[in-house]
Amino acid sequence: MAKWKHNLKTWLTRRLELPADAVMDLPRITMVGQLHIYIENHQGVLKFSNEEVRLLLKQGQLLIKGKDFMLKTILPEEILLEGKIEHVSYLERPEN
Amino acid sequence: MKEYIRELFSGYVRIKVIGSYTELFINRCIEYKIPIWDIARLDHETIILSLYISDVRRIRPHLKRTRCKVRIHERKGFPFILKRVIYSRGFLTGAISCLLLLFILSNMVWSITVNGATPEVEHKLKQAAVELGVTRGKFIFQLPSNQELQRQITEKMEEITWVGVKRSGTTYHFEVVQKQLPEKQPALNPRHIVAKKKAIVTKMYVEEGQAQVEENTYVKPGQLLISGFIGKKEKSELVPAKGEVFGRTWYVSNVSIPLKSTFITNTGERKTSYAIGVSRFHIPIWGFGKPEFSEYETVEHETNLRFLKWELPFSFQSKKMLGTEEVTRTYSKSEALDAARSVARKDIEDKTSDEAEINKEKILHHEEENGKVNVKIHFEVIEEIGKNIPIIQGD
Repeated sequence: MAKWKHNLKTWLTRRLELPADAVMDLPRITMVGQLHIYIENHQGVLKFSNEEVRLLLKQGQLLIKGKDFMLKTILPEEILLEGKIEHVSYLERPEN
Repeated sequence: MKEYIRELFSGYVRIKVIGSYTELFINRCIEYKIPIWDIARLDHETIILSLYISDVRRIRPHLKRTRCKVRIHERKGFPFILKRVIYSRGFLTGAISCLLLLFILSNMVWSITVNGATPEVEHKLKQAAVELGVTRGKFIFQLPSNQELQRQITEKMEEITWVGVKRSGTTYHFEVVQKQLPEKQPALNPRHIVAKKKAIVTKMYVEEGQAQVEENTYVKPGQLLISGFIGKKEKSELVPAKGEVFGRTWYVSNVSIPLKSTFITNTGERKTSYAIGVSRFHIPIWGFGKPEFSEYETVEHETNLRFLKWELPFSFQSKKMLGTEEVTRTYSKSEALDAARSVARKDIEDKTSDEAEINKEKILHHEEENGKVNVKIHFEVIEEIGKNIPIIQGD
């Protein structure tokens, strides 16, 4: 059922050209050079330190690495992170 | 930008949150919609973040839940600046001295206005006011009361009939009614001049009309002195009679003078004390203790203190104690007679007009009775005896 729903959503975004982040609850990530990273649709902070931030997403996690991190703004669904961003990667949830 | 202004105005704190589950604390804050910002990590157990002061109480349950401790690191924004400024000594002394200065200045005379006077009289009035102490920069409570000022200025200045003194706040208003120069007399109605009392005519000046009596004639009250009819009988004409008739008149005055009398005089010693009055209580501030003289009368003067336009419940009171003395005066018989004469003379002067002149006086009779001397004095006075009566013509 879940799989079918996921397929429908993917099909709808493709066919109707709807924004994927709105339809599929995906994170929208905006970066300004290495200075800022702005993440929408996150599900909470898992780890926060000067060199590493781990955010919970609907599917999996987002790992950001760098230096001198500071959370400028944090709202229920958005985060603005400042510092020197060196690395952004997804950690996939192992498929059940 | 908007956020920044809000942060400044409502005030915020930088707090350190210490614990193993600081991320959990952040998540709970987001969940419960407690705005936090500028989060940075200090070490693996401590984060630092900003929070509105109004939310400081709200994070308490979340701290407990996540087993975190909190330390306040910095206080920022206007509320804290304000607090710091207000409680600093310099500001406090400044504010207090400002209030004090305002208070002092509200009790000073700042301007004097004069209404209804010619420039010349205005200048004189201002000088008179200066003599009484009403000048710019004087304390209002040091000045005499308005009624007193009014009385003294009216007495001092001949040019004015009346002056109204009004004080509103720090300004004195003088409302002046100036004496009018005698205007031209209006056209007079035809009239006679008749005698108003029995007298012997001593002098007559007739300006208009016809004299009916000669000098050294005895006249009775109501007798025609100057007639308003002039000309011969057939061609007689009516005019307003005008003139002065002086006559010798007689008065008898009875005076009784006690031989021994006691009265109270001022010795000239004085002592002044000042006090601040708060409703019904007096707090003396200057001039303590009783005066050295035993007998005295007190003159009190009270002025309400003001602050800007408000009347304060405090008043400035000054109390003058004037030393008095009881004096006993004893007259010998001849002194008593002299005193009686002067009293009687005064009495006659009051009764007659200003132009009247005492010609002769004579003690008719005197006797001693119960420590008093009763004297009967006869006066011969030369005074104006004419009186105008209109001529009413019957057709």
